[in-house]
Amino acid sequence: MTKTNDVLIVGGGIAGIQASLDLAEMGIRVHLVEKLPSIGGKMAQLDKTFPTNDCAI
Amino acid sequence: MLDVGRHPNISLLAYSEVESVKGRAGDFKVTVRRKRRYVEEDRCTGCGACTEKCPTIVPDAFNQGLGNRKAIYSYFAQGIPSTHTIDPDFCRQIKGKKCGICEKTCQAKAINFDQKDRIIELNVGAVILAAGYDVFDPSMIPEYRYAQITNVVTALEFERLLSASGPTAGHLDRPSDRAVAAEIERMEKEITKSQRMLEKFEKKYEEASAQFYDNFQKSRFQDDEDRLKWAEKYASHRAIVDSLDALKEKAASFTVAKRLAFIQCVGSRDFRFYPFCSGYCCMHSIKEAIIAQEHEPETTSTIFGMDIRAVGKGFEEYKVRGGNHSNISYVRGRVSEIMEGADHNPVVIYEDTRERQVKNEAFDMVILATACVPTKGIVDLANIFGIELDAYNFIKTDPLSPVDTTVPGIFVCGCAQSPMDVPESVAQASSAAERAAEIVAQADVEEAVAL
Repeated sequence: MTKTNDVLIVGGGIAGIQASLDLAEMGIRVHLVEKLPSIGGKMAQLDKTFPTNDCAI
Repeated sequence: MLDVGRHPNISLLAYSEVESVKGRAGDFKVTVRRKRRYVEEDRCTGCGACTEKCPTIVPDAFNQGLGNRKAIYSYFAQGIPSTHTIDPDFCRQIKGKKCGICEKTCQAKAINFDQKDRIIELNVGAVILAAGYDVFDPSMIPEYRYAQITNVVTALEFERLLSASGPTAGHLDRPSDRAVAAEIERMEKEITKSQRMLEKFEKKYEEASAQFYDNFQKSRFQDDEDRLKWAEKYASHRAIVDSLDALKEKAASFTVAKRLAFIQCVGSRDFRFYPFCSGYCCMHSIKEAIIAQEHEPETTSTIFGMDIRAVGKGFEEYKVRGGNHSNISYVRGRVSEIMEGADHNPVVIYEDTRERQVKNEAFDMVILATACVPTKGIVDLANIFGIELDAYNFIKTDPLSPVDTTVPGIFVCGCAQSPMDVPESVAQASSAAERAAEIVAQADVEEAVAL
């Protein structure tokens, strides 16, 4: 039987990043697919994030 | 972001797309296309020497086209992975011209113009779709004149203008003023060029251009072809110098944008486009107004909306704080039209429903709080994974299991499911991760039982 306990995540924005990190921390192998050259998504384009006005990256 | 790049359990497949999926929960076979970057990922150190030398200038998508980048680029400065990418639509070498400067510059020997796409096969137990969203294109609303009035921008464009790492280094320069600055720069280059030409003539005839032109106008040398060229060159040179001086005088009075208008529900809560509420835009506008005022204390902002939806922990307090400390006033009313006034100032025409009056007011800049709409590729993605979409083309879920798609083992989180803000996306992502872990753990148990 092939090993099938990896997880595929499509999209490397804030949601995909959070899901990847959660699974990886559980010890599960994650493949994160992002169509753009770098991850970060729209969140990376935000100057600062609400409500603390901290830097988004 | 950095953690994702470093984590031993995460294999990051950036610049890649899923091509096909087979199988079922616990055992999916996925084909992924790794698009060619023309740069070897394992060699590129991300130093950026290639970008510095690249001669081709391209509008920068990360900065919403407000700035420029080169044909070889890193998507943004802190991007993970930091591997550079060559844009095949603009690269001279790939377009068949002679260049290859990046290849000569790269010390790591990472540039590879013969690179091919790679197809890789993955075997996974569960899938999480976090494909995100697109920003509504406000040029679909003709009365807001988004593409015509340069000082009308979207919230995401405004975000880049506010950013210290953005095209204006965080100064709130109006796009129309930036266009003038770019024009001045272009003219200065042209003047240096024509200056050089004139100097050649001056050397040849040992006479200053101005003096020669005086004589020329007194009908001397009229049939000398070479001198005729000189005269033409000098005349056009003078014309540019004069208009450059005028522009510079105009630019001297430019200040940063201080009177801002935010227009809510651009594309959302609008039966012509998307009837739903995009949820995050009210708080986004308030945040942008607060940050703008932090940059420049004299800034005043007016937020035009049907109502300000501050639903969430601490949101209402944030809204009130904005009003009390950041010069934000909230106007209840929908903007009917934006016109261009004097000095490229957008003039907002609206009904103040509290005073029951139609008013108009000029601002330095107008920011459109654009709707969160399904991403372009979502239909293809749904076909690949065999999942259903809802009436708007967001990924369909059941109200009581908000991260389960219509296919077992495939989950969704973030704005691919419906519009939501960052905290909600993060919460949903953790929830989807947990659901995926359940499937994977089940596979583990079944394997153990089978043994």
